[in-house]
Amino acid sequence: MNVDRMALSRRSLLKGVSATALLAGVAAPFAAPGAARAQSADAVRVLCVEDPFFFSLKAMIPDFEKETGIKVELESLSYDALQARLVSAFVAQTSDADVIAVDQMWLGQYLDNGWIVSLNDFIAKDADIDLGDFLPEVLYSSNMWRGQIGTLPVAAYAQGVMYRKDMFDEFGIAAPPSETSEDWTWTKYVETLKALEGKSFNGAPVFPTVVCGSQPSPIVHMFTQVSTSHGAGWFKSFPGAPWDFEPQLTGPAWVKSVEVYRALYRLSPPEAINYVWFDAGTRFAKGDIGMFYWWTPYFYLIKNAGYMTGTKSDVMDKYATAALPKAEGVPQTVSLGGWSLGVPSSSTRQDNGYAFIKWATSKATQKKMALWPDLNHQFSDFARASLYEDDEVKAIYPYLDIQLAMMKQGNGKVTRPPVPGYTALESVLGLTLNQLLTGSEDPAAALERTNGLFASILKGNFMIPYQKESFADSLDEAKALIGKLTKS
Amino acid sequence: MSSPKARFLTALTYAGGLLFLAVFIGPILWFLALAIRPADTAFAMPPQFTFEPTLNAFRHILVDPGVNGPQVVNSLIVAIGAVVLNLPFSVPAAYALSRFKLRGKKHIMLWYLGLLMAPPIAFLIPYFILITRIGLQGSYFSMVLVLQTMTIPFSVWLMKSFIDEVPAELEEAARVDGARWFTIMWRITLPIVRPGIIVTSMFAFVFAWNNAAFPLVLSARSTATLPIGTLGYFATSGVTWNFIAAAAVLAMIPPMIIFLVFDRYVVRGLTFGSVKG
Amino acid sequence: MSATIARSPQALPPARRSFVRRNLPYLLIAPSVIMLLALIAYPLLFALRSSFYFWNLQIGPEPQAFVGFDNYVQAFNAFDFQDALVNTLILSIAGTAIEFVLGLSIALLLLRALPGMNVVRALLILPTTIAPIVVGFLFRYLYDPGGGLITWLLKSTGLPIPPEGLLGSPTTALAAVLFADVWQWTPFFAIVLYASLLSVPDEIIEAARLDRASAWTILMRIKLPLIRRTAVIIVMLRFMQLFNTFDTVLVLTRGGPGTSTRTLGYSLYEQGLINFNIGLVSAMTWITVLIVNVIVALYVFFAFRNEEW
Repeated sequence: MNVDRMALSRRSLLKGVSATALLAGVAAPFAAPGAARAQSADAVRVLCVEDPFFFSLKAMIPDFEKETGIKVELESLSYDALQARLVSAFVAQTSDADVIAVDQMWLGQYLDNGWIVSLNDFIAKDADIDLGDFLPEVLYSSNMWRGQIGTLPVAAYAQGVMYRKDMFDEFGIAAPPSETSEDWTWTKYVETLKALEGKSFNGAPVFPTVVCGSQPSPIVHMFTQVSTSHGAGWFKSFPGAPWDFEPQLTGPAWVKSVEVYRALYRLSPPEAINYVWFDAGTRFAKGDIGMFYWWTPYFYLIKNAGYMTGTKSDVMDKYATAALPKAEGVPQTVSLGGWSLGVPSSSTRQDNGYAFIKWATSKATQKKMALWPDLNHQFSDFARASLYEDDEVKAIYPYLDIQLAMMKQGNGKVTRPPVPGYTALESVLGLTLNQLLTGSEDPAAALERTNGLFASILKGNFMIPYQKESFADSLDEAKALIGKLTKS
Repeated sequence: MSSPKARFLTALTYAGGLLFLAVFIGPILWFLALAIRPADTAFAMPPQFTFEPTLNAFRHILVDPGVNGPQVVNSLIVAIGAVVLNLPFSVPAAYALSRFKLRGKKHIMLWYLGLLMAPPIAFLIPYFILITRIGLQGSYFSMVLVLQTMTIPFSVWLMKSFIDEVPAELEEAARVDGARWFTIMWRITLPIVRPGIIVTSMFAFVFAWNNAAFPLVLSARSTATLPIGTLGYFATSGVTWNFIAAAAVLAMIPPMIIFLVFDRYVVRGLTFGSVKG
Repeated sequence: MSATIARSPQALPPARRSFVRRNLPYLLIAPSVIMLLALIAYPLLFALRSSFYFWNLQIGPEPQAFVGFDNYVQAFNAFDFQDALVNTLILSIAGTAIEFVLGLSIALLLLRALPGMNVVRALLILPTTIAPIVVGFLFRYLYDPGGGLITWLLKSTGLPIPPEGLLGSPTTALAAVLFADVWQWTPFFAIVLYASLLSVPDEIIEAARLDRASAWTILMRIKLPLIRRTAVIIVMLRFMQLFNTFDTVLVLTRGGPGTSTRTLGYSLYEQGLINFNIGLVSAMTWITVLIVNVIVALYVFFAFRNEEW
């Protein structure tokens, strides 16, 4: 392998292209728009993703500008566009932003390549960040990689159950419990749903549940909650050391998880095969679904009829939330996700960047976001433990106890392992699951085939055998780091 | 002439015409309706054909917050830029291919045509890496430049067909008067084919305006074009159909106007000049 | 017309003049050729080189190792390559054929030249003017299993639609994608074929009528052969545009359900701009480029063999 020579010849290749650009003779009026703009010292450019938290965060920006005198340029993009934009900015080594939204899947890649700076030093020097107030499960899942805190969480998601109180009452079905217990299993969940099968409610036929079937991300996000509950892991050894990425998609836990998910799809509207994230929530809000589980932002999103309309949905006062089911005899693990903010190493205003992140993830700002009344109160994705005890907030979001209980059982590193090249694995798994929902293929055979594809992708990405240093990544390790940074 | 059979055939023809209009124009009107109907009637079952029209969606996309207003400007900059940049390359080539006997002319013409059919996504990804490395990612120029892969071959073909129509005698006469080839091209041929150049530019503009693959990969938020703007309403947390439709309607208008105004050149434009229409 | 057009008294020194004179047409063509080569050949050579390296932007910004033909082997063995190739071919062949036949029938209808049909002809072209990505959105709306107009029309005429929706069932999804394309491009064939058929001289057809040739015979034996060159060009164009389909698929189905609507263009997009596996996508690029070239070359050879330019 001769990386240096390759880079050199690419440079000469680039010279050629630049020459072509000059040949065209009109380069000047079309110069890159961001590049020429002067970097003013009292500003900060924030590149965000358009998830629910974005709207309440945006509404709080004037407060930050008043407090610090730093002007904020906030941009939002869709998930795909954000990823493409960030990767291209990093490759070009251009300074595009001072704060960026980072998905937990990208964290390791960004830190390993030095694309974002470690926040350890900023935090150690900061007396009033109150790092200990963040839920350690969230920091561990979304923000830490190889002993570095790369980002801080602005919105943390767990998963939980939503169901129709009125429907359950009408059919005399016991309400699902608000605490995790051996009595509330996936088997029981499916049985409960079956009691709703073929029923009509308010004169309209009821679908017991709704799932996401669209590949690749939505179905993987939803299915992995079932598989993690059943203890089905992706790799031989990860995140514990030594790392060994030999895929482990075969075995009874995976087969069982597929069977559960298939059963759930059969109890859903058939068109759910094409449902992406919001489709499931929108469908529940329409009123013909009995119960479903999904990311915790849907605890409040289903209050709205339609996206961004601000009008209340028909189920607004008729639903309640509950704990996620678990699998028999397996300790529960809940999927954790959400969005975090980091500082690109190319930024020339890293202090401003950190100041913004500290502000956006602070208890005070997060509370103000939660109390923002627009869109029927649209933010309760706290990573800060103290907000789950706040009476003012709890009055608006009555489900916070359940949400906190789910968070505390969370482990995002196990559910969807944030390994380099994750998206390629996700697209293969998503495809298999999607095919298994509508097809009649034997789950074991399909998983066997997927396992082979995983192995070939991982070998192609030089992940098998793993040649770099492993890192013993555990919640205890994360707690120790939090303690160390808080003390100093 | 008005035998029963002929009358029946006439009726049949009109019925067919109306059917085709319904099939091909109906969906466009239905999308326009989506843009101006109250959001909660968009998926009503059975479909609602009457409703209280509202301009809320257009207000949202153009005024408050008005994300798509600047995108209209971006689309114009990119499409006009692509047309303007293409002219100095395509006009001389079209002139040469029309006026001179060349060895391999057929192969050159087919080579241009072949480029028009190359899969854009195939060279787009390496182009994206290259443009990113020289720091032009997200610029208007990166899009204008790569659009030349469409506009130059298209314009060469279409423009050649217009130049072919200019009688050679005019140039012969000028040559007898001792004018140089450049003067002939500049002073005589080009003014005559100016309508052809305008028609060519208009259709090249439509192709550039409608292109979504290039800006999807190459644009930044501040340089995003209108087709990309429609994609923006398809977020992970929800989809706002009436905004999509409003932005889409906006994107449809310029090409439709150009096609209706330049009606008599449409066939020629669509076949790169190989059918005079 | 010949290169001797520059035979006039000139101010240039003789040597240079003769160079310019001899090569004038080539000098006029050269800028466009150089520009196009730079824009297409350069990225392709870059891709050729990258295709022999392991280079995943999610793992590192530089090529990580020389791997020989591994990327090509991976591309052929990828879970979606064969399905994508088959779908792409079905889409291209069926789409072109359906659009040609439908377009021809509409053209024949328009040829009856009744009053008012001119308006029909002028309006008919509108679908073709719309950006394909917008057509994608339009049809996603029309196909919606809950409240889509097409779904409703099919249901109310009693036609069976799969419970998953037209885009949700593997049996109908590809056909639904195909139908959106047919809707957009049939008018294109109709208008172009109509214009070409108009240019067929009346005397020839009159002569055939006197020979008692049937309408069908006149169409197949006289009209179609006379518009052969146009037909050949537009069929090739449409075929290749369909072969490159990717933005409609992106909006309509993202290649699903399963792999039933995955096209080569969409697979390239996913590997390149979602997975950022530059080495692999470069290999796939070259495989696609070779396939396209073979198709175009064969077609051009047979279609233009006897053409003079």
